[in-house]
Amino acid sequence: MIEGILIGLGTALTPVNIMFVFTGCLIGTFIGMLPGLGPMSAIALMIPVAASLEPATGIILMAAVYYGAIFGGSTSSILINAPGVASTVATSFDGYPLAKQGKAGKALAIAAYSSFSGGVIAAIFLLVAAPFLAAVSLSFHSADYFALMVLGLTAVAAFAGKGDVLKALLMTVIGLMLSTVGTDQTQGVPRFTLGLIDLTDGISFLLLVMATFALSEALIAILKPSGDDKRQEEMEASTKLGSMKVTGGEVKEMVPVIGRSSILGFIIGVLPGAGATIASFLAYGTEQRLAGPEKGKLFGKGSIRGLSAPETANNAAATGSFVPLLTLGIPGSGTTAIMLGALIGYGIQPGPRLYIDQPAVFWSVIVSMWIGNIVLLILNLPLIPYIAKILAIPSRFLLPLILFFSLIGVYFVSFNTFDIQLMVLFGLIAVVLRFLDFPMAPMILGFILGGMMEENLRRALLINNDSWSFLWQRPLTLTILVIAGFCLFAPILWSNFQRLRKGADRAGEGG
Amino acid sequence: MLFSKDRIGGILLLAFCITYGILSQNITLLPIQAKAAFTARTMPEVLMVLGIGLSLLVLIFPGSHDRPQLAGFNWGKAVLFLVLMSAYGLTIRPFGFLISTSLFLILGFAMLGERSVTKLLLVSVPLVVCFWLLMTQGLDVFIEPLPWFLKG
Repeated sequence: MIEGILIGLGTALTPVNIMFVFTGCLIGTFIGMLPGLGPMSAIALMIPVAASLEPATGIILMAAVYYGAIFGGSTSSILINAPGVASTVATSFDGYPLAKQGKAGKALAIAAYSSFSGGVIAAIFLLVAAPFLAAVSLSFHSADYFALMVLGLTAVAAFAGKGDVLKALLMTVIGLMLSTVGTDQTQGVPRFTLGLIDLTDGISFLLLVMATFALSEALIAILKPSGDDKRQEEMEASTKLGSMKVTGGEVKEMVPVIGRSSILGFIIGVLPGAGATIASFLAYGTEQRLAGPEKGKLFGKGSIRGLSAPETANNAAATGSFVPLLTLGIPGSGTTAIMLGALIGYGIQPGPRLYIDQPAVFWSVIVSMWIGNIVLLILNLPLIPYIAKILAIPSRFLLPLILFFSLIGVYFVSFNTFDIQLMVLFGLIAVVLRFLDFPMAPMILGFILGGMMEENLRRALLINNDSWSFLWQRPLTLTILVIAGFCLFAPILWSNFQRLRKGADRAGEGG
Repeated sequence: MLFSKDRIGGILLLAFCITYGILSQNITLLPIQAKAAFTARTMPEVLMVLGIGLSLLVLIFPGSHDRPQLAGFNWGKAVLFLVLMSAYGLTIRPFGFLISTSLFLILGFAMLGERSVTKLLLVSVPLVVCFWLLMTQGLDVFIEPLPWFLKG
């Protein structure tokens, strides 16, 4: 492991890579700060740039953008109560009240220290867990991988909101369907190309991500009536950041919260489909319960614990979500799904052999997480008052620019104008589906995993002489599929259980 | 609610899944694959069944009964932007990067309410030129800057 860390340090600490970590953190913070644009859009916008770099440098850049975007989202949550992404919603519960009390500087500093600690602690866990899990998963067969992918996709349902389980599953299937467009990998037969040569290679992953996130976000912002005036007023109200000093007493209050939330965030992050949003809300709820009645009352009114917990947890979860990606090659979240697509674009297949075949990429990603967190702390915190000015850029300039960067990002990869037209079509479909409250992240997850899932299933059948018996004869495959089944039906069982309990309570009260 | 958001989405996706299923029957199979357990059609057929099944479940058991709110949105502007983006795709080659992108940005800013011609030009043109220089000189990505009639 020491050798690996040294390889990682050697790669991540080259002047070029350090520069990209700095740049990535800064760009990520900028993009993450824009309400509506989250880490997924930020990473998607970076793919065309990363594609022209060395694999390790490109992944380092995207990881830095990821962290920067999460931090940027927290900043807009605290300053103008406009969370850029769902994972920073819990941050606004206590961050914005603190800013309204004239303590925006303190709130930002607490958020930065908590994010830093959560990220660093989780990176240590990752350092230990990833090689161990990778070593274990070396014994996995195609059948197990197929089952793992089924688990990854069904886990999305387990963590979908109430009433969204079916929609999340349906969008996953739509993503899987889109992944089948193009020439079949094994038999060389065209599928769903509609006779168009431009579709022979399938739908570009970048095109789909850009259209469903960056492009549709900008189009939805155009659809909504302008909020510039309100944003301007809020910006003026929060221009006085106040002191960024955190007192000794406040640090004492934060330390145990950071410890607990880091562990919780990391574990939630490792689970496929869960992600930073659930981690941040769970950490917030846990701390509220642990705070006791007196301090618990402060939650929602500017509590330091209430701000520190979700900030720590969402960063720890972001780090944790790299575990299944790096060790099993299965993304645990939409963001890591995009990272997986980028890695495949480099010709790198993440999985148990990644740390053997590409140690520089594997370890430099882990080491760059530390560096990224340090950069966020020493570079972004002092720059926050200046970076925050981006929130004052009028949307009439910002939105066409986002559209331009999305379109040109895709065009620069293929130089095919058909891709721009296809992107506009997907952008329109994404707007309609988002307008109808259908989630996009499961579709991306399905699209990314579709090809691999089909390949592993085909291989497993070949090995088993065209017999499907491997699904129940191989204990590991069966166990994973049973867990997947549990993930699929757990939300339904849970809601039925709660309904029964409520009924029993009512009967008890009546009797 | 008969036409809730979930039901409308469910109908749209059901139509997509049915079309997908019909198109999956057009996938050519080689004679030797007739009895194979896994062919190029297997995955699409499984997905078609899953997709139609889930769409029907969304239609029968919608998670929410909210109706879509169409009022109060800038639909016209959004459609114009879709047209603008499509037109950008069609003009980027014949008009070259510099002219087509500058026009795209100027029209985009103007459509969202910017009226000052000076601002429109000062924001778009330098940005497009700088971006082109960064891509061609910095990242070695060449893109034709000039329209067809000015090419050498």
